[in-house]
Amino acid sequence: MEDLQKLRQKNLETIFNPKSIAIVGTNKVKGTVPHDILDNILKADFNGIVYPVSPREKSIKGIKAYKYVVDVPDDIDLAILVFPSSVCHMALEQCGQKGIKSVIIISAGYKEVGEAGLKREQQLIEIARKYDMSFIGPNCLGVINTFPDTRLDASFAREMPARGNIGFLSQSGALCTAVLDYASAKHIGFSKFISFGNKADISEIDLLFYLMNDEETKVILMYLEEVSDGQALMDAAREVIEKSGKPILILKSGRTNEGASAAASHTGSLAGSDEVCDAGFEQAGIIRCDNIEEMFNRARAFAYQPPPASEKVAIITNAGGPGVLTTDAAISRGLKLAKFSEETTAILKKALPATANINNPVDVIGDARSDRYLAAIQAAFDDEDVAGVFVILTPQSMTDIDTIAADVARIAEGQTKPIYTSFMGEKDVASGIDILQRANIPHYILPESMCDSYNAVYHFNKHVKSKAHQLPALDNIQEGLARNIMAKVHVNGRTYIPEVETIDLLQSYGLPVPQGKLASSPEEAVKIADKIGYPVVMKVVSDDIIHKSDAKGIELNLGSPAEVKDAWERIHTNVKSAMPEASITGLYVVRMITGSEEIILGIKRDPSFGPVLLFGLGGIFVEIFKDVSFGVAPLSREDAMNMLQQTRAYKILQGARGQNPRDMDSIVDALLRLGQLAVDFPEIEELDINPLFVMDEGRGSVIGDARMILAKTE
Amino acid sequence: MDKNEILTRVKGVVSAVLKTESSEITDDANFIFDLGADSMQSVELVAGFEEEFDIEMDQDRALEVQTIGDAVNFISEYV
Repeated sequence: MEDLQKLRQKNLETIFNPKSIAIVGTNKVKGTVPHDILDNILKADFNGIVYPVSPREKSIKGIKAYKYVVDVPDDIDLAILVFPSSVCHMALEQCGQKGIKSVIIISAGYKEVGEAGLKREQQLIEIARKYDMSFIGPNCLGVINTFPDTRLDASFAREMPARGNIGFLSQSGALCTAVLDYASAKHIGFSKFISFGNKADISEIDLLFYLMNDEETKVILMYLEEVSDGQALMDAAREVIEKSGKPILILKSGRTNEGASAAASHTGSLAGSDEVCDAGFEQAGIIRCDNIEEMFNRARAFAYQPPPASEKVAIITNAGGPGVLTTDAAISRGLKLAKFSEETTAILKKALPATANINNPVDVIGDARSDRYLAAIQAAFDDEDVAGVFVILTPQSMTDIDTIAADVARIAEGQTKPIYTSFMGEKDVASGIDILQRANIPHYILPESMCDSYNAVYHFNKHVKSKAHQLPALDNIQEGLARNIMAKVHVNGRTYIPEVETIDLLQSYGLPVPQGKLASSPEEAVKIADKIGYPVVMKVVSDDIIHKSDAKGIELNLGSPAEVKDAWERIHTNVKSAMPEASITGLYVVRMITGSEEIILGIKRDPSFGPVLLFGLGGIFVEIFKDVSFGVAPLSREDAMNMLQQTRAYKILQGARGQNPRDMDSIVDALLRLGQLAVDFPEIEELDINPLFVMDEGRGSVIGDARMILAKTE
Repeated sequence: MDKNEILTRVKGVVSAVLKTESSEITDDANFIFDLGADSMQSVELVAGFEEEFDIEMDQDRALEVQTIGDAVNFISEYV
């Protein structure tokens, strides 16, 4: 597998920087994909040699054409296949025979059209493996490399984008053309632009690694429709961020919770696939974006301006209202207004009229021309407390918009602090915005987007880039014992595993289990209660009962042998009347816990991210409040703590309303152990610990109830 | 009608539609990969065969035919 990855990296180098290209299956019919690909390569002034391969034509666009790729007398670095899918495999086979290692397959008609297409796709993979080839596609728009020494536009997009430092990867070809058009209007350039289609061979992970080492790329953007291997994507993202410091922004479509409602456990019904994707991305440091606008807003901040050293900004505006709006937007996103030094306020006082506000946000007043903006911006840049400058402009009759834009661009040159702009309005400010965008000064229609983008860059540089993903060493894990327990419970195709056996398993991984035992008679129950101490709780144990409280199968706070015996009778009567068919194994007698907070922990298996953990406020209200967070296992200690901090329950655990703070370290420890269990036992589909009783700080926690669902065995 | 006759007449249609010399058309030539037919010409070929042999072919199946040999076998089912 590692060799295959190395091969792909080597072949990707030739895909992006070929010296010679064969366009296999091209033709003379303008407006068709086979023709337009050749046309684009020629129009982009490709720096190598182009060989059209067409079974019928002697020449295309004045260039000699070859009937088959094997007929080309010279070596070829890259083949671009544009034949229909019914014959693409034949062309690929010939590419292999010719010794071509790098291929882009543009043609559609594969996995996306169903079973027959999937077979054809498989055939392409087999041929590629046979000849050590790597290919992008099929079913893609192609690849663009703006690097001047190459200038490759191997796509059927309408125009080649400008050179820039953003690398863009997309699973959807159609979205690529929309993005190119959007970017062109805003003067956004790209280093590499890649549509990877069905990713039958080269995947987004290979491309991430390629862009990690690509000197032209500073920021990586990706559009994804499906995450086929969440863990691999997380690992790759962590490596890319750690080694290159490049941010990865992903627009992932499909925010649905399909299938979650059918799950049998709390964790199952709470953990939708999209929440899991959010959690996985955040853990790996990936910045998830909700739409194209947001993605490019942030991308421009990353790509064009230096990162801010702190969250303290200076706002410079020619209008009070927008200044307040921007201040609100900044504060609500965790930014702060910088406090100017006396020197700065003195400079501002001298440069601005008496009516101007010389404190942050600085109001240069509605009649301000470029000179006032320049003076205020320079003073802000020079102030030690300022980490970034926001320039707001509204168009008054005397506002020299274009001059201000040009001056902002000039003053920003060579600065080590970032400058972002928001020229508010549309028609009158359009030419000024154009000047800013051409000069790579990030411009935002809304102050909110400006603050969000600043915060994204700040957060990434401050917290994500330096984050090490260190898995903690856990003591007291008895994997062998756990395997024995699992072998015993997993007999006769049982999938629902009730409390007692689940707790045995959890104990083997060092989780805090309650003092208690299974009783098969009222006398035995009294004996157990006498031993562990009163008060006790008694609960029905049955393979057939998932929700014990619904069947009235729990009795709390039993303080004496007589109460235990009475409760024994009541539980049996209740359960028989609620669920006459249920077979009762016995009653579980445990020590009653008081003075604690109830939380829920759980495991769920996600089809693309694998084992997922859940944390939330527990008890019977878990599904009503939905105050939960997720994490992809295995977790680092920091990941587990983040899970706690993401919920409202965190405040309660910290000791709200005069309560003592609870033992959060014990929750983090339980999450880490649960994560390890989930990784070691893939057969666990779902597991709930509900509730986990969390005691005061330093006193630990105890499992109140637990159950588990195992995968069906064949 | 024997297969040799079908083959000769198939080659005649292909040569006319794709404007290729009959001599260049081998028995196992692939319409797209070897002879360079595009999607429009594939439809024209089906129409040409129907006219030549006075038959009506199932369109979907007919478009799956990839080589001269396939076409001969397919048409022989109808004549």
